[in-house]
Formats: sequence, C-alpha cells, structure tokens
Amino acid sequence: MIEVNWKLILETIGILIYATFMGFIFMGIERKAMARIQRRVGPPLWQPIIDTLKLLGKKESVSHGFIYDFGPVFALGATIAALLFIPIANFQLFSTNADLIVVAYLLEVPMLGIMLGAMSSGNPYSAVGVQRGLLTMVAMQLPYGLALIALIQHWGTFKLNEIVALQQAHGWSITVPALLLALIVFDIVFQAFLGLEPFDIITAPAEISMGPMVEYGGKHAALLFTQHAVQLFAETAFFAVLFLGGASNLLELLIKQIVVLFIAIFVASIYPRFTIDQAAKFFWKWPTIIGIIAVLLTM
Amino acid sequence: MMEMPARVVGEEKVKIKKSFIKPWMGIKYLFKKPVTIKIPYEKIEPAPKYRGFHTLDWKKCVGCNFCGQICPARAIEMTWIEGEKRPHPKVDYGRCTFCQFCVDVCPTGALGFSENYYLTTGGLEEDLELYDWVPIDPKKMKELNEKFNDYRFPVERIQFNKETREVTYYLRDGSTIQFKILGYGLRPPKPPAKPAAKPAEKNETKPAEKKKEPKAEEKK
Repeated sequence: MIEVNWKLILETIGILIYATFMGFIFMGIERKAMARIQRRVGPPLWQPIIDTLKLLGKKESVSHGFIYDFGPVFALGATIAALLFIPIANFQLFSTNADLIVVAYLLEVPMLGIMLGAMSSGNPYSAVGVQRGLLTMVAMQLPYGLALIALIQHWGTFKLNEIVALQQAHGWSITVPALLLALIVFDIVFQAFLGLEPFDIITAPAEISMGPMVEYGGKHAALLFTQHAVQLFAETAFFAVLFLGGASNLLELLIKQIVVLFIAIFVASIYPRFTIDQAAKFFWKWPTIIGIIAVLLTM
Repeated sequence: MMEMPARVVGEEKVKIKKSFIKPWMGIKYLFKKPVTIKIPYEKIEPAPKYRGFHTLDWKKCVGCNFCGQICPARAIEMTWIEGEKRPHPKVDYGRCTFCQFCVDVCPTGALGFSENYYLTTGGLEEDLELYDWVPIDPKKMKELNEKFNDYRFPVERIQFNKETREVTYYLRDGSTIQFKILGYGLRPPKPPAKPAAKPAEKNETKPAEKKKEPKAEEKK
C-alpha cells in the first residue's frame, strides 16, 4: 500500500517557496547593507528577484552539453535536499539518525555541482575558478569538521532536532565556552561557504572575471541565482540551529538568520580577499588551532 | 656649489602597523547617511561656466571661420544660410570636444557657450540629425534655460528636408526656427540668391557639393 502523504508534500512545497523568497530577500539585504557601508544607497531589497526574472526572460541560453546543464540542477537539488533535513522552526520534514552529518555535507555538494558544470564549459577562467574552489573546500574541511565534532561531543547526539531540544533545555550553544570557540571557527568557515569576501576566491570578481560561472548566462544563471538564494537560507538556518538554539517559530528563526547574515556581511565588507595560498594557510592555522582547543575542552 | 639633500621621509613614519581590529571602524558608515545624489529626483547644478553647448548670435557673426580653423576636432563647418550675408558656423556634436577654443577665438564674441550638457537621442537617422546644428541665439537659450532649468539640449528635434534644404528646429517650448541652408564651406554657393526658378537642378547639385566642399577645405 502506497499512501501519499499530502501534508508532507504541501509542507515541502511551502517551505521551498518560503526559503526561495527569503533567500532572495537575504541576497537583497546583503547588497543593501554592503552599499550602506560603502556610503551608497544601493538597490531595492527585491533586486535579486528582478535580476532572476530578467535572466529567466532571456531568449537564448548557450549550452555546452548535458553536464553543463546538469551542474546547476544538481547544485539546486542538493541545496533543496539539505534544506529539507534542517529543522525550520517546527517543520522538520525528513530526519535520519545522523542528519547533522547529512546536512553538513549536502551543503557542500552544490559547490561540486557548480564546478561540475563549469568544468564542462572548457573555459580557462572556469578551470582556474574550479581549482581555487576545490582547494578552498579542502582547506576548510578541517576546521569545519573540528567545529562539528566539538558540537557533537558536547551535546552527544547527531540529530538536529535533538540538538535544538537540548539547547532549549540547557541554554544555547554559544553560552558554553568550548562551543563559543567552535562558533568562531564555524563562522570563519561560514564565510567561505557563502562565498563572501575574505574567502571569495572562488568567484573572485574582477580577478578571474567570474570564476566557475563565467560561461553561465540566461536561464542557467537564473538557476544558479535561485540556488544561491536557497543555499543562503539553508546555511543561515543551519547556523542558527546549531549555535543559536534553533527556533520555535519562523519569525524567531528569521531574526536569528538575519543576525548571522549581518555578521557575515560585516566581515565581508571590511576585509579584503585572500589569495588562495593565504586562504589555505589561514584555514590550517588559526581556525584549526581554535577548533582543536574546542574539541579538547568538550572531551 | 652645495648640493641640497633630497627630503626623504623615514619609512618607519609611513609604514602602518597591520591590524585585525581596525577594519571594523568601516562599519560606522552603515549608520550614516549615504552621500549619493539620487539623480532623477535630485538635481546637481553645473559650474556657472561649465563648457556646454554653443550659442551663436547670428547678428554678430561675420563668417571669418576663425572658429573653424582653431577647432581641434574639425567639428565646425561654415554654412550659408538664406538671408544672411556671411556664413555661420555649424557645430557637429559627434566630433566636438567642448574645448571651447572657438569661443575664445571668436573676434566678435558671436559664439558663446551655455551650461547645458544633456543630449541623448535614439539611434535612428532622424534622431541623429540633432547632433549637427547652427547654434541658436544666446537670449533664446537663456529663456529656455529659465523655463526648464534641466540643462538639456534646447532643441527637441531637427528636421532637414533634403528636397528644399530647409531646416526646422523644434525647440523645447514648442516654437520653431526655420531657415534654408544654401551651401557649405567658405565660398558662397554657386547660384547666389537666384530666384527659385530651377529648384530641381539645385537638388541635384547640392548633395554632391555638400560632400565635396568640406573635404577640399580640410585639405587646405
């Protein structure tokens, strides 16, 4: 007997629409806040939505074959999958015994998807971007893993909803000194996750034109924009769930997400870009040391 | 002779210590008012002698072609207008660099300039006519500026009738200036003020002349 769970399907669609919309608004907030820090007025908040609609309205979309088309779709799919495992307020649609690990790695898959598509375009700029992207990913695994290990060791569970429940019972993660260190490490890695300034080596605007995304235009680019929006939402939600005690309703979650986003924007707007070798060295130095201390403290 | 030592500031005075904390000072601008001028809603005043479009007092112009000689972009071509004894300069804004040498060199002060600098058109052939004009009277320019005060080109549309060689300027306030171009260059046009007995012949000869004469002049 196959029973169709209509409630789950409707909830999934609702969460997806909400996440996409809010993700675009987050992108708008990012642009607006950066503009204000640079003493500009900046675009309206809904500008990324307009951009995406305009890209969708393009007549031609150059394709370089199946993998090129598949890359963005794969990235978007992975982001959506990650989103569905994160407890968004009181909806957690899917759950496994170790969904922390699932989400942590599903959030990295989109980068691989973009790179998969970018490599098949055969553009040397994309190739350089992909090289840099993969090296950044390799470099940030170590502190990222250490931060997660510290968290898991402290709470003693791999399940996100249990972590949320424990935080609501015993206080947020950041109130624990060891996890505060983990938060610092996670926040540094987070910057690279979002592709924001000190670690925006992958796209590197004005350095290697657009990195992996040089060849993407039209509908492909619209798909990548949407993917970025969903990913922004998923990552900020993941951050809030892990360290800021989750949320019991969407508004509370939204406030926490915006706080996280603003910290990322501040860091992004005041620090210049690392070169790729500096980034790798940096990741294996300070965040790793702090991460090890955090892990040792939680033992 | 004693050699003066070069003044060099010590490196330790110039070198700035690196800091992780100081960049955070940049955040303070988040709460300050942006310094942007919102152009469609706010206006900026150009400087009082901003070098913009030309004005020409047709009564003062003696057709000496000093402006045409000094123009570094060769944007000025003398034009014979029906009813005027002397040729008047016609400025091509496709080439003009707005250096305003022609204004400085004008011996009678006929050629002047205004602060107007906005000129945008579409790409159609009849829109592009707008870039090639015999400047209008400074008084008219002033009047238009006082009326609109947005520093745009005072002419909305220029219509050039190739058959009759009649030029019509449709000014922004709705009035028109109409005149007839008889020829180009320093030499007076071939049939000088003959009655319009043979307009058909005129039409055939003039376009060819229009192309040839300026070139011949440039070579000199």
